[in-house]
Amino acid sequence: MSVVNQANEAQAAVTTGAQAPVMLARLRMMMLIRRFEERTYQEYTKPGQRIGGFCHLYSGQEAVAVGVAAVFQKGRDYLINAYRDHGHSLALGMDPRAAMAELFGRSTGCSKGKGGSMHYFQVEVGNMGGHGIVGGQIPLGTGLAFACRYRKNGGVAFTLFGDGALNQGSFAESMNLASLWKLPCLFICENNGMAMGTQVHRSSAEADLARRGMGFAMPCRNVNGNVLDEVIEALGEACDRARSGQGPSYLVMNTYRFRGHSMSDPLKYRTRDELERAKQQDPIVLYREKLRKQGIVNDEMLEDMEQQIAAIVDEAVQFANASPHPEPQELFTDVLAEQYPLSKGDV
Amino acid sequence: MPTIQFREALRQAMWEEMERDPTVFLMGEEVGEYQGAYKVSEGMLAHFGPGRVLDTPISETAFSGLGIGAAMAGLRPIVEFMSWSFSLVCFDQLMNNAANVRYMSGGQLKVPIVFRGGNGIAHQLGATHSHRVDALYSRVPGLVVVAPSTPYDAKGLLKTAIRCDDPVIFLESEVMLSDRGEVPAEPYTLPLGVADVKRPGRDVTLVCWSKMVKLCLKAAEELAAAGLDAEVIDLRTLRPLDEGTLAASIARTHRCVVVDEDWPYCGMGAGIVERLYARVFDELDAPIRRVCCEDVPVPYSHYLEARMQPSVEKVVAAVKEICYV
Repeated sequence: MSVVNQANEAQAAVTTGAQAPVMLARLRMMMLIRRFEERTYQEYTKPGQRIGGFCHLYSGQEAVAVGVAAVFQKGRDYLINAYRDHGHSLALGMDPRAAMAELFGRSTGCSKGKGGSMHYFQVEVGNMGGHGIVGGQIPLGTGLAFACRYRKNGGVAFTLFGDGALNQGSFAESMNLASLWKLPCLFICENNGMAMGTQVHRSSAEADLARRGMGFAMPCRNVNGNVLDEVIEALGEACDRARSGQGPSYLVMNTYRFRGHSMSDPLKYRTRDELERAKQQDPIVLYREKLRKQGIVNDEMLEDMEQQIAAIVDEAVQFANASPHPEPQELFTDVLAEQYPLSKGDV
Repeated sequence: MPTIQFREALRQAMWEEMERDPTVFLMGEEVGEYQGAYKVSEGMLAHFGPGRVLDTPISETAFSGLGIGAAMAGLRPIVEFMSWSFSLVCFDQLMNNAANVRYMSGGQLKVPIVFRGGNGIAHQLGATHSHRVDALYSRVPGLVVVAPSTPYDAKGLLKTAIRCDDPVIFLESEVMLSDRGEVPAEPYTLPLGVADVKRPGRDVTLVCWSKMVKLCLKAAEELAAAGLDAEVIDLRTLRPLDEGTLAASIARTHRCVVVDEDWPYCGMGAGIVERLYARVFDELDAPIRRVCCEDVPVPYSHYLEARMQPSVEKVVAAVKEICYV
């Protein structure tokens, strides 16, 4: 199914209900991500903490990850992300058990316990990882797009970052190079309004973050990042442009994070009122109510889904907890791919 | 055997590998239409076309990261830095991304990329353009660091580096590009991680690489005139270090001087000496000496610049000191 068809069918489904199973699957994935993150919060904060390090939760931004997954074509597309990476990884199909085990630092984790919360990878599906340095992954995204173009396979590189990354030089440099070379790169800014504790108005001279992309000769637009179908529509359009060789696009998904920047964030920079207002725009509630109005979902079904998801997340925690720590020799594996001394004679 | 310039040897290596493997491509500042800032890539754009020889804007962060991303996706980029000093602008890309993504992903990724360009002090380029990055990259697990001293080594090592599945930091020198040397017409490769004895000797082991090899060979001639027989070992690969060849040599000579262009404190030589003491302390008849740059930024004045660096005289004096003559 081409992207435009998929996007259009998702749109069509809104009116006809013809794609109800797809829409239910998307709702379910958003609910799974929320439940996974809220359980992670509990596991992180409870006595005998089993999750360590920096841990950035995705609650409130689920429509972006699920929207990306809706247009993502496994086998030729790539996704690369910053460190708030649990949601996208689950949306691209990562086993919640492998995701939770990574947080627990276990050998069964998606990165064998060597990456942690900020560095989820699932290369087999094109998930090229979460990356810990703000903006550091943006040039890598252009490289993934370059590889798609080099192979002429119609692939697209979904390059995700937060509003804080706009103020790193890597953003401007990569936007310029990707547009200059017409690379199939989607620059997706998840604007949750806060770079750690610094609100956009305190970090960006230009309040409209879509305008930060002007000057690079590519389409720039704001998208309501809380409305799943708007996210899918915008991504579908940008994908079509990229796949047909017309180059990159820059999309600002305006959304909100319900939790702190990381687990150590006391959240003193925002008021309860602000959070309550944001929760009126909860992407899961918006999508759920949309489906409810169309008769695609009802209370009974939602309760069933909640229970199934709770069981999946429970099982993920049990799996993680029962998994072994990495063997001591794992410390020394995966540093280099080759054995040295290295000879590479003509064969 | 044909005699060619160092820059031609580099070009031959890239040319042959690009002919051999369509996933190899070259990018960097002025590598295409300008024919290379130092003419290393001369003629390559015309032969391989703009899809495989790419002129980049002056955006080290963007194009080094682009190379790493392309390598993560299975291509084999060669990224030219006009000067390794400019890699400081994109240190994050090399240090955090090229070196770490394999480990952080639990071995799911390979990063088959070569970064190459001129390293170290050239002629009166001043403090910003004269950095020696040897130790900066050689201390990073996940990277391989290569520094050839002759056209023959440069070609054979660069070909292996391009075929290597790990990120390779390939250190050249602007002042060596016109050096000439014999290079076979037939294809060949040289191994990474293997040092080369450039001159056998009995009395002292001189450890060096890149530009310092010529200097040490000259010093060895002067020492021979004074009755001291120096063995000159060219490391060729700085990481992983071929400790075995060094240890075997010192077990015979019992004396060692490490000669490098880096600063004294936490410099490349310091790291090598630490490894050697751990391995050959009992073999030594004298402390290992280092000859390196003075602990100052690189000055512009030709007179001061020369005084700042290792010289034949400094090497000879260091050897005589530990041989007690």
